[in-house]
Amino acid sequence: MNEPPTTRPAVQGTVRPDDVRSVFDAVSKGEAFETCVHPEVAEEDAVLEVSDFDLWYGEKRALYQIGMRVPVGKVTALIGPSGCGKSTLLRCVNRMNDLIDSVRIEGDMRLSGDGIYGPKVDVIELRKRIGMVFQKPNPFPMSIFENVIYSLRIDGERNRTVLDEVCERSLRGAGLWDEVKDRLQDSALALSGGQQQRLCIARAIAAEPEVLLLDEPCSALDPIATGRIEDLIEELKGAYSILMVTHNMQQASRASDYTAFMYLGRMIEFGPTESIFLRPELQETEDYVTGRFG
Amino acid sequence: MTTDEGTGREAPATARQAAFTGKPRRRGTTFQVRAAEIAARSLITAGGLGTILAVTLIFVFLLMVVAPLFTSATLETRGTNSVESSVITAIGVDRYEALKWIASADGRVLSMTADRVEVIDELSTARDGVGVPTAQTFSPTLDHAVLGYEDGGVVLVDISFEEDYLDGATEGLGDLAEGETRVVDGWAVQRTPVGQLRATRLAWEATEPDFPFEGSAVHLVDSTDVAGSPIYATLTADGQLALTKIRVRTSMFGGETRTPSSIELPYEQPDGAGLPLALFLNGRGSDVMLLWADGTYHRYRENDEGEGALVETRDLVADPNARISAWTQMLGKESLVLADDTGGVTTWFLVRDADDPSKLVTVTSGSMPKLTGRHVTALTPSPSSRLLVGGTNDGKVEVYHATTHRLMGESDLGLDAAVTAVELSAEETSIRAAAGSSLVTLTLDPKYPEASVGTLFGKVWYEGYPEPEHVWQSTGGTDEFEPKLGMVPLVYGTLKATTYSMIFGAPLAILAAIFTSEFLSRRLRSRVKTVMELMASLPSVVLGFLGGLVIAPFVQDQLAGVIGVLFALPLAFLFGAHLWQLIPRRLTLPWNNGWQRFAMIVLAIPIAVAIGAIAGPVFEGLFFGGSAQSWLAAESGEGAAGGWALVTLPLCILAVLLFITRVVDPLLRDRLVTTEHKHLARIQLAKFIVGGLAALGLAFVVGFGLSAVGADPRGGVIDTYVQRNALVVGFVMGFAIIPIIYTLAEDALSSVPEHLRHASLGAGATPWQTAMRVIVPTAMSGLFSAVMIGLGRAVGETMIVLMATGNTPIMEMNIFNGFRTLSANIAVELPEAVKESTHYRVLFLAALTLFAMTFVLNTAAEIVRQRFRKRAYQL
Repeated sequence: MNEPPTTRPAVQGTVRPDDVRSVFDAVSKGEAFETCVHPEVAEEDAVLEVSDFDLWYGEKRALYQIGMRVPVGKVTALIGPSGCGKSTLLRCVNRMNDLIDSVRIEGDMRLSGDGIYGPKVDVIELRKRIGMVFQKPNPFPMSIFENVIYSLRIDGERNRTVLDEVCERSLRGAGLWDEVKDRLQDSALALSGGQQQRLCIARAIAAEPEVLLLDEPCSALDPIATGRIEDLIEELKGAYSILMVTHNMQQASRASDYTAFMYLGRMIEFGPTESIFLRPELQETEDYVTGRFG
Repeated sequence: MTTDEGTGREAPATARQAAFTGKPRRRGTTFQVRAAEIAARSLITAGGLGTILAVTLIFVFLLMVVAPLFTSATLETRGTNSVESSVITAIGVDRYEALKWIASADGRVLSMTADRVEVIDELSTARDGVGVPTAQTFSPTLDHAVLGYEDGGVVLVDISFEEDYLDGATEGLGDLAEGETRVVDGWAVQRTPVGQLRATRLAWEATEPDFPFEGSAVHLVDSTDVAGSPIYATLTADGQLALTKIRVRTSMFGGETRTPSSIELPYEQPDGAGLPLALFLNGRGSDVMLLWADGTYHRYRENDEGEGALVETRDLVADPNARISAWTQMLGKESLVLADDTGGVTTWFLVRDADDPSKLVTVTSGSMPKLTGRHVTALTPSPSSRLLVGGTNDGKVEVYHATTHRLMGESDLGLDAAVTAVELSAEETSIRAAAGSSLVTLTLDPKYPEASVGTLFGKVWYEGYPEPEHVWQSTGGTDEFEPKLGMVPLVYGTLKATTYSMIFGAPLAILAAIFTSEFLSRRLRSRVKTVMELMASLPSVVLGFLGGLVIAPFVQDQLAGVIGVLFALPLAFLFGAHLWQLIPRRLTLPWNNGWQRFAMIVLAIPIAVAIGAIAGPVFEGLFFGGSAQSWLAAESGEGAAGGWALVTLPLCILAVLLFITRVVDPLLRDRLVTTEHKHLARIQLAKFIVGGLAALGLAFVVGFGLSAVGADPRGGVIDTYVQRNALVVGFVMGFAIIPIIYTLAEDALSSVPEHLRHASLGAGATPWQTAMRVIVPTAMSGLFSAVMIGLGRAVGETMIVLMATGNTPIMEMNIFNGFRTLSANIAVELPEAVKESTHYRVLFLAALTLFAMTFVLNTAAEIVRQRFRKRAYQL
């Protein structure tokens, strides 16, 4: 694993014929390659910057020299075949991987310019700045109201007006207010799966995070609930910077502004969603998004 | 296993086609597999059912042993004989019921076979030249009599039965069957169950008067016996009341010297009343009681200077028209039983006066069910228990239990005469009643008169107790002792042990479980859990003797220090946490892992122990007069303020905490929003110190206030210190129940789905916030069930409570006193209990109670746990 440090290349808008297949070949041989980053990405302000990020689960390496910039106020989707490290990368952002004993990382990640890793970072404070929604809806076994204002509760907020206001705003933001406004004190577990996931989104945005991480938020939901979540992501765009992992190509193309394609722990191509899906720079990306492999 | 049988048979055809190797392949289930399946299934079923069956059988067995306790007594007439005698005044029978004696008013004593009226011997109580006794009293056990004569002389009689075993070849007795009595040469001979010939005869040994009275005839007399020295009281016809003690000394050469000494008691006669009807001497020979027919009662007592005085006068019969119709004393001669002609039968005894503990007063513990239209004319106590037999004026026999005032049985003799004398055999298997010239024998089976739901679980007014109480005292030092079988003190002791050990054990175990499940990494968690579970392998007998022999003396020596450490430990941790915040964060953040906690523990515990060990004795010196133990025993002059402060301190801390969170924090909040961390930390530390001092101050204000109004904390949860006490048991048994609560609590916490933990941590909650706000509430029912299982363990725990408590069956919540639990009681007493006695069966009842308690606790815990599992699964 002695690859030279990857530089962020200025990639031309054309497919280079000599690159065809060479990237996957390079990956499979363990050779170095450069992430193909579309020039539009560089024009955006980044809320989250990742550079030269490596991660090992014990002896097994899961991420290789990841470098990406998550633009402010946009939805960025991470796509790629199973096991390519999408979720691992996402979980690195709010350091959820700390909970796993054998994880070791190298490289740098910055949230609005502040380092995420480093001995002087207070993980608790860091996580308060990042919202996360998980694959499976995970409301707490308490009332809807308490679920939404959880992040305020742990910060010791007791002012009822503030709590009520935040609760309503977050639930409206998550498109759930009209459905639950009359039963805020009921158990959150009584909600349907789709509602629970929107509740989790409401809980995440109640903390007014700088970046919202969505880890396959629709994979445990039925198509109708999925549609609602996608609409919601559409609505949240602009107000929040969203980084989402998805398996669903349609979802990525419908809901996101930018898409990053990952493969075997490497970031292969990163650019505006339209470009990635319609005019990818790399043949491999095209093969994947058109379903020829993956 | 049988579902695929059909396809299994068709298999070969398809198997051949599908074979990969080209060779035909077996596809049927082999015989061995089927056999193993059947064998395993039946074995497992048998095992499972067997377990349920075994538990049920244990329950049924316990129930079968206990059930007879609640059966009622039986009483039936065995036979009636006619005796040629004047009015019979007393009857006695030997323990094998071979022969009986009757004493009649004309001074004759006849010994005769027990089942017939074949007279064996006749003797007279008349003295030469003096005549028949003018007064006679038989002791409740019928082994003594005291006779008073015309000349003022008093004769003490030892009544016993001489027993001898005859040679098997004794002539004419070869055909004697078991259960038959034959008279041979003045002996009543019976065949024993092992075939021996046992001869019995009455031994009536009268001692001559020790000194003659100058004066008139003895009107009333009673005697008692204290350690072999007889004491008797006499009232003569001319109104002289005297108490005589005879000191018996046995010399080295076998001779006996009897030294009488007598004191005069100042007899007072109520106006208009004649001589009293009855005279009683109590068992210790200290009190002489006189009773007149209308119920007037005078009690004389000998004081320390050897002078007697009238100390109590009262009317024992409320109805002015009622007249005393029969009287006796219960076994031990401490209780009087009086029957009046309106049908009432009442028990009376001496107790300490509630107002003036130096004085005794005569009180009644209650009456037997009142007879209507008839009344008791003869009374006799049981020679071995608290049974009381009465004969009525209409020829019936009543059997009572004197302590509980229950009527155990009643039988009509079928005679049209008043009963003049009744007798209960020593074994309580037969009753003899004399009415007119008839002598009736009745068969009695009292079953278990001491036990009823009321006596076992309710308060009972025992002889000599100032009020009804729950008492467990199954054995005593004398034959007169009445077993007191109240289960409540034992249940109370069990609950006390459980409560105090849960107070120590449960929080520790649950905190330990939270620590391992929420703060430790997965790898370390499994190791720590194994070590914790290893604690359970420590035999409880080892914990018991450590508790009793090491910890109990240590705690006694270092009481102030130990209590100081108990308070100092949590304070030290809180203080340390506040101090930690003072350190700049850039210095602390690299430590923000396990090492921080480890460092804290390593620093805080020794410091807390040192501070507690120093501050405790200082506190003791300031507020407890230098010795907490003598303060607890109310022996030091110190006031109650310090004690109150200590007892109310936890409450005061709570109050201050509430005040801070409800009043101070909202005030500070807006100002603190923008303050930087360093200042915040200082403010928090200041708040902690001020709060702590405020709580202490409040505790002392409350303490001085309460002691100023005269309240005293002693008597509640703190009181006189006993070395082996609930505090020690709390430590040791707390230690014993930690592993089981820990294991189950850890399981419950770990089974809270990981995604909830992630959601909370992902939202920026600390592990402690996550634990308190999400994990513990979610796992609450699981934790509850863990605590219940721990309770079940504590309830049934035996060795620790046996060895580390004083096993005193007292009922007080005092943490510094011992107790006796159901389990320890069974362990202590069952080996000594006579099989199938009341005591034995009551101990089984204790086992049943214990079984029921643990069964209920464990079942409840299991139900809660099942519900928790279902819930955890749904999340």
